[in-house]
Amino acid sequence: MQPLTLRSFARAILHIDADAFFASCEQAVNPTLKGKPVVTGKERGIASAVSYEAKARGVKRGMTIREIKQLCPDAIHLPSDYETYSLFSQRMFAIVRRYTPDVEEYSIDECFCDLTGLRRPLRMSYETMAARIKADLEHDLGLTFAVGLAPTKVVAKLASKWQKPAGLTIIRGTDLHLYLDQVPIENVWGIGPQTTAYLTRFGITTALDFARQDELWVRSKLTKPHQDIWHELRGTAVIPLEFGEHHAYQSISKTKTFTPPTSDRDMLLAQLSKNVENACIKARRHKLEARRVSFFLRTQDFRHTGYELVLSRPTNVPSVIVPLINTHLDIIYRPTLRYRLTGVVLSHLRGEGDTQLDLFGETLRAERVRRIYDGIDRLDAKYGKHTVFLGSSFPAMQGQQHTGDRAELPRRQRMLLQGENERQRLGIPLLGDVR
Amino acid sequence: MELVGFRSRQAVARLVDRLVAEGLVTKDPQGKLIPRAPNGEVPLLGIVEAGFPSPAEEELIDTMSLDEYLIENKEASYILRVKGDSMIGAGIREGDLVIVERTNTPRVGDIVIAEVDGEWTMKYLRKRGETLYLAAANPRYKPIVPKEELKVVAVVTAVVRKYARRR
Repeated sequence: MQPLTLRSFARAILHIDADAFFASCEQAVNPTLKGKPVVTGKERGIASAVSYEAKARGVKRGMTIREIKQLCPDAIHLPSDYETYSLFSQRMFAIVRRYTPDVEEYSIDECFCDLTGLRRPLRMSYETMAARIKADLEHDLGLTFAVGLAPTKVVAKLASKWQKPAGLTIIRGTDLHLYLDQVPIENVWGIGPQTTAYLTRFGITTALDFARQDELWVRSKLTKPHQDIWHELRGTAVIPLEFGEHHAYQSISKTKTFTPPTSDRDMLLAQLSKNVENACIKARRHKLEARRVSFFLRTQDFRHTGYELVLSRPTNVPSVIVPLINTHLDIIYRPTLRYRLTGVVLSHLRGEGDTQLDLFGETLRAERVRRIYDGIDRLDAKYGKHTVFLGSSFPAMQGQQHTGDRAELPRRQRMLLQGENERQRLGIPLLGDVR
Repeated sequence: MELVGFRSRQAVARLVDRLVAEGLVTKDPQGKLIPRAPNGEVPLLGIVEAGFPSPAEEELIDTMSLDEYLIENKEASYILRVKGDSMIGAGIREGDLVIVERTNTPRVGDIVIAEVDGEWTMKYLRKRGETLYLAAANPRYKPIVPKEELKVVAVVTAVVRKYARRR
């Protein structure tokens, strides 16, 4: 077979994917969990991550508690400890940055990095670099990682998936065709079911079939994102890595389930109010303001109702948004129904500060409220999130979000060290007690 | 002229010509002198502020935080809370926090964290003959000799003890 390109690594892109990340973090900090089927997401009543031991028993992500119990009665179901997962995630990216500053934090447990041009300064081959990064990650974090090295992002993503868990797969440009021949087109990153169906009509079923199409055909039949994938599969890197800590947000949403379900309007407003406060904290942290706010409720039988508000001026201040939700809540609220989830979405975001003055002094009033929130943000930074919150959130801040089985707090929050409190803890993973 | 003690301007001019020839100074279009460093460059040392110099600020650059002092490899360091008195002889008490660094290559004599029967254990790593074993720093505890492989995951790098303050 003819190769797609004659260059091994025109660029050297690494994709790193932590294996069963949340469950592995739990096993890394708690030795009683090693080698056992561990499932996280207890507070949501589902499996949000599944350890390899549980996977081997047929447990999959998204399964309900009942399904998990049936397949694997001895599964250990844990409440998610996002604090610990985030600490491990930050460390993962920091370790990769020891080798290159060009790291794209793709998600909490995945990243891309660009190693192009580092052979000489680091005095090692790309293959060695990939192996060293993987070894550092596994040594320092006590987790395993699947790593893929390839000339482009799309192929690196295929490479990391090649051998999971703990694999290191290197796909040189010259070997591309040998790998792509074995990849069904729907397994290519960025090719969805629609495109798969469309391409199948032209007899394209593998990634190699697609890569072998000629450019004119690709240009006339497909949109830009899919043309990019075609280039990348052929070994030409065209999709840039996105640096910076995070992607730009289109919208910010905060939803929370709670037990027991409730028909109480005050409680629902409190839950919505708490979500608004959380969404606004995030918006202020990224210096964004929303021009639209939507809120929604979910009933016990999973029916959704929602409503969208268009704001007269963009804001990221809860005390502006909550009264509006209060006056519009009765449009969707039915006192006879029992609700178990509320959610809030801030959308049509734009940068803070590019506001126009208005005739009625609204802008100036808003500026004063904004100053109050600057103060609140500083208090929260010092004493922990939600040190100061709206009275309307009070019922939701009282007690816990869940009762019964789901109320169990993650281990880290149950093991407070002297001087810590429920809002602020040391920023180093705690492995527990030692004798 | 006062600087070099010459009597005539001519002598000064000759000296300047020599300096120009040596590349130590150059003349601008008006004939004024511009000093040059012997290697052709004037090193820029930074911006000088008028007023009394404050050495304090410069010295602060060389300080480290308590975090940096206690933790060498940040990404590999973890904390554990001490239970019991098995390491009392090493000055580690119940309630202390230990900072540990993950490692595959512990050395004999290190205080290590090992996994024994699904729990973390902190002991000295000792060796008798070819056998590695764990020893407490308290005569009331017996040494732990592993039946199979000894699973050491980390070494202790620091101990933190916070005293409760009455206010």
